Amino acid sequence: MISDIIAIIRDYWLLLLIGQYPNGPLGGLAATLLLSVLAIAFAFPVSIALALARLSKAPLLNWPVTALVYFTRGVPLLMLILWGYFLVPLVTGASVPSFLTMLVTLVVYQGAFLSEVVRGGIVALGHGQMEAARALGHSYLGAMRYVILPQALYNVIPSIISVFVATIKDTTLGYVINVPDLTFAASQINNQLLTQPFQVFFILAAVYYVICWSLSRVAVLTERRITRRRAGTAPQPTAKSLKLAALTDQPS
Amino acid sequence: MNTTVPSNNSPMIQLKGVRKSYGIYEVLKGIDADVARGEVVVICGPSGSGKSTLIRTVNRLEEIGSGSIICDGNNIHRPMPAKELNRLRSRIGFVFQSFNLFPHLSAIDNIAMSPIRVKGVPRDVAYAKATQLLERVGLADKAHAYPAQLSGGQQQRVAIARALAMEPPVMLFDEPTSALDPEMVGEVLAVMKGLAADGMTMMCVTHEMGFARDVADRVWFIDQGQIVESAPPEQFFSRPQTTRAQRFLSDLRH
Repeated sequence: MISDIIAIIRDYWLLLLIGQYPNGPLGGLAATLLLSVLAIAFAFPVSIALALARLSKAPLLNWPVTALVYFTRGVPLLMLILWGYFLVPLVTGASVPSFLTMLVTLVVYQGAFLSEVVRGGIVALGHGQMEAARALGHSYLGAMRYVILPQALYNVIPSIISVFVATIKDTTLGYVINVPDLTFAASQINNQLLTQPFQVFFILAAVYYVICWSLSRVAVLTERRITRRRAGTAPQPTAKSLKLAALTDQPS
Repeated sequence: MNTTVPSNNSPMIQLKGVRKSYGIYEVLKGIDADVARGEVVVICGPSGSGKSTLIRTVNRLEEIGSGSIICDGNNIHRPMPAKELNRLRSRIGFVFQSFNLFPHLSAIDNIAMSPIRVKGVPRDVAYAKATQLLERVGLADKAHAYPAQLSGGQQQRVAIARALAMEPPVMLFDEPTSALDPEMVGEVLAVMKGLAADGMTMMCVTHEMGFARDVADRVWFIDQGQIVESAPPEQFFSRPQTTRAQRFLSDLRH
């Protein structure tokens, strides 16, 4: 069993790592990482923009974005992916690479989810901070940038990381539109071997686990570093994580 | 700028027929009053009388229904681009009951940030000024402490320094000592006294009648959305003219 896994890795490591590249598109783990990093890198600023639009009093900003967020959150990701894959070429006539379709869909979908996290963080701060900033002459956006967001985003780091991890896992759905990622590579291997699906997909699961676990670790370390820099200044998050620890620390 | 430079004897703040309602409830029922340059006005009155609302209309944290407010020659509530309002607000210092320091910034960053970001003051100049201000409020040793590491009194003194960093010609205080433990009230009032002695124009909502007696040039007594009495403190405290003020003062003593 373990020897099977080692053999698979030995035989197919290059396919798992970079797919058919350079004879085909970049795939495997490299494509998965690239897709994840790009999706997160775009979804994060998009989510802040969406959150600000939803908080805006201007109906032209608020309504369409609210509708978009509600719609996106209420529809399965797989459906959005298939829509993007089949509809966009139909409507525009352009052939869009599946990698790009997947990236845009992920950015919209996770951006919508993340925007609710960000909005929650902003609303939870209360009026006082915004009022203080405005009283000092900051513009609304200036107050957001220098006063509200640094606090709001910090307070919701754990939820942000959950969305990031979900984004990485959701890249696997690119499989259905032939995005040549790690899942796609594993599936190719499985089709060749036919008899060892458990071993093949165990490797797949292990790799995803390591990626997501590393991200969570980075998040925890980042959070600690900020907390340390603010030197016990963030009583809210500290108290929150303490309480959470009390709830979740169970004898194993 | 199209703002005329006000002459030195025009009032710093002019309130004319200021009215404001929340729905059908009228909080301010026509306020007419002036604050002269360098004058310290203490606003007192029972809770719900509209004193906080009034002071918050002066830098337009609250909108008004009708009337006008002129501060340092500028009509604060006229329709204007957001940029202009931000500029006017930066020239009116405001101190909150709940301090509202920025918890993610150290004391000195709290003070220096707005001059840098709003006024474009060079960093070294802003930090030199912030250091001076910290000394002025007696917290030079707390420059790098974060708000959560400071006592309430210390936080409020940093908040005063933060407002002063914008070099406003007028300072508004909305119950600056009401959220403080009694032993910390004195240190904040001392800073405010120093400001008054330096000739700052101040409008201050407070229940600290000792401060009013010592520092105020005038006391406004507000009840049910109107200025019922406006008098120098010695007159207001010893010979209040209206029964409402008499009742308020006797309630305070008990």
